Amino acid sequence: MLLNGSEIIAECLLEQGVDTVFGYPGGAVLNIYDALYKYSDKITHILSSHEQGASHAADGYARTTGKCGVVIATSGPGATNLVTGIATAYMDSIPMVAITGNVTNDLLARDSFQEVDICGITLPITKHNFIVKDVKDLANVIRKAFKIAMSGRKGPVLIDIPKDVTGAKCEYEKVQPEAIVNELISGQSDFDIAADIIRKSKKPMIYMGGGVVSANAEKELLEFAEKIDCPVASSVMGLGGFPASHKLFMGTIGMHGGYETGKATDNCDLIIAVGARFSDRVAGDRDKFGQNAAIIQLDIDKAEINKNVKIDCCVLGDLKDTLKKLSETVEEIKHDEWIAQVEEWGKNSNVTETPKSDIYAHPYHIIESVRKLTSDDDIIVTDVGQHQMWVSQKYKFEKPRTWCTSGGLGTMGYGMGAAIGSAVANPDKRVVLFTGDGSFHMNLNELATVRSYNLPIVIVVLNNTVLGMVRQWQKLFYGRRFSQTDPHRKTDFAAVAEGFGIKGMVIHNDDEAEDILAKAFALNEPVVIDCKISPDENVLPMIPPGKTVDELITEME
Amino acid sequence: MENKHIIGLLVHNHPGVLLRVTSLISRRGFNIDSLTVSPAGIEGFSRMTIRINDDSQVEQFINQMMKIVDVKKAEVLPETESVASELVLVKVSSNETNKNDIIAVTSLYHASVVNIGENSLTFRASGTPSQLDMLIRELSVYGILEMARTGIAALETGDKCLYEG
Repeated sequence: MLLNGSEIIAECLLEQGVDTVFGYPGGAVLNIYDALYKYSDKITHILSSHEQGASHAADGYARTTGKCGVVIATSGPGATNLVTGIATAYMDSIPMVAITGNVTNDLLARDSFQEVDICGITLPITKHNFIVKDVKDLANVIRKAFKIAMSGRKGPVLIDIPKDVTGAKCEYEKVQPEAIVNELISGQSDFDIAADIIRKSKKPMIYMGGGVVSANAEKELLEFAEKIDCPVASSVMGLGGFPASHKLFMGTIGMHGGYETGKATDNCDLIIAVGARFSDRVAGDRDKFGQNAAIIQLDIDKAEINKNVKIDCCVLGDLKDTLKKLSETVEEIKHDEWIAQVEEWGKNSNVTETPKSDIYAHPYHIIESVRKLTSDDDIIVTDVGQHQMWVSQKYKFEKPRTWCTSGGLGTMGYGMGAAIGSAVANPDKRVVLFTGDGSFHMNLNELATVRSYNLPIVIVVLNNTVLGMVRQWQKLFYGRRFSQTDPHRKTDFAAVAEGFGIKGMVIHNDDEAEDILAKAFALNEPVVIDCKISPDENVLPMIPPGKTVDELITEME
Repeated sequence: MENKHIIGLLVHNHPGVLLRVTSLISRRGFNIDSLTVSPAGIEGFSRMTIRINDDSQVEQFINQMMKIVDVKKAEVLPETESVASELVLVKVSSNETNKNDIIAVTSLYHASVVNIGENSLTFRASGTPSQLDMLIRELSVYGILEMARTGIAALETGDKCLYEG
């Protein structure tokens, strides 16, 4: 049938099973928005306050569903406002298709109004990007973009479309997308070598990452870990990929991971990395990380092999397949002695906790109180900073895709958009956003979106009135010179919420926390809870950057 | 001493592909000293030949290049199993007294005089990168005024090709 470019975009989105997109209109996407108007019964468009919010919403949508997130923005500033959201998705391997309008073909390359080379700008933060200059190429480019975003190691793809292409007519024929199959890259010999190393190991540990969640391989990982009786540490990105209540689960590994995972890393004789990339926040000292251990790495991305640390054996392919096959290749093993040792470390990892105070609420108390009000299926979103690390330490994640956080890029301001995307995608689940006053200030404009769509998100602001994480580093490494981390803001978040038409509440101390949280959860409507916590609260324990667990900081002040 | 490796890249001849490759080289900190692009002799494809200076970067270089959607193939062309060649144009300062000496030197490298100026001679030479390095070293005694090298082109010896089928 003969359609214009914008209708072709809508049809191609439908081909891919897309029923929800996030975005913000503008001059260069007028045609696209006209088509969205026509297709509004089939495609729901969620309008954000700012394109950045829309990009994080598409990301949150993708993380909590496993589907590809879609975001639309206009040319120029609309497109550049997506950049942080695309980079966030890229660093965490989140599938996303970003569609930007551009000026018409004849105005390209002339510094026209709202023209920007968004393909050039996003080149290092996308898996691939396209500019479509001819409507005849449009449908196939969109199909290719989804395939690239969703196959292999997932990630964002951008399609830039000049305005005249969105208006030009072209013959369109529906194409059923073929199922994405990630071929097994490793041959049997890789599995045999890995199995042999595993058999010889007396003290193995699994270091899992976001790849487990991305590949939906939680069941396969659980079976594998149980079969070889191996303790599991998770990166911040991997949380939810292995049940926190499981006896083999040790907690997070790395800078703010526990003593237990740190000691296990230093003393184990084998690290099995599963969908994890040895980032500097995990392997602070690349040369000493697992220095007494052999390393087996399971990943889908060959370029991760020997990138940060030298490994002994790699198994390449979709984790769902490789974990299953590896489980089949090894026999059941028991490591009672080693596990007893790991548990012993677990008992000793207690950080000196701040004594209870009447003036402030304690972040751990807030997080644990929220946990009592949520089910294992509910979704927890965070921003970036101290609150994010506290949640990663204390909230017990049992299921994959219930955890949304900017792990790689560390994007303050990520949370509001991501919570919106999560809530839109999961109307049957509770969505809780933990944020800090610093992060919340960045993108609280999206409260307007939360209200417009009446998304029942519980927004918990752990408000210490300072930029806590940077301040903590200033305490530790900059002689307590608190440069620009005490902004002296007087924002009344409850009043701000009310201004947006959202219920606002305040928690002043631990004693009232549980009651107020219970009331907030019972509302079943958007709510902002301003939790007053101490500006001097720290994230502990902490392995200083570039160091190992030997230099673990367990108390400050 | 660091070992240099020549890498052959078969890429889709799409706009921006050179930028994708060079941007990756820059942001991943790969240390290269030669990059050439030309038609690959296969419809729709270009061939890039890149020389990388650091042994420890070769594996990552290949793996990262293979992640670019437009890169079809990336492979090391081993020194002993490939032919590599480049071309140089070099303008040497000369006068009546040393002119014949210079020409004698260059003839050993099968370089030909392509232009004679008032106080200069311009030569064209082709050969392996190390042959050209030697020629240039010898000519530098007389004073090189300017020079342009094409960068390396390389193919594997025998019947093997970068792209099969």
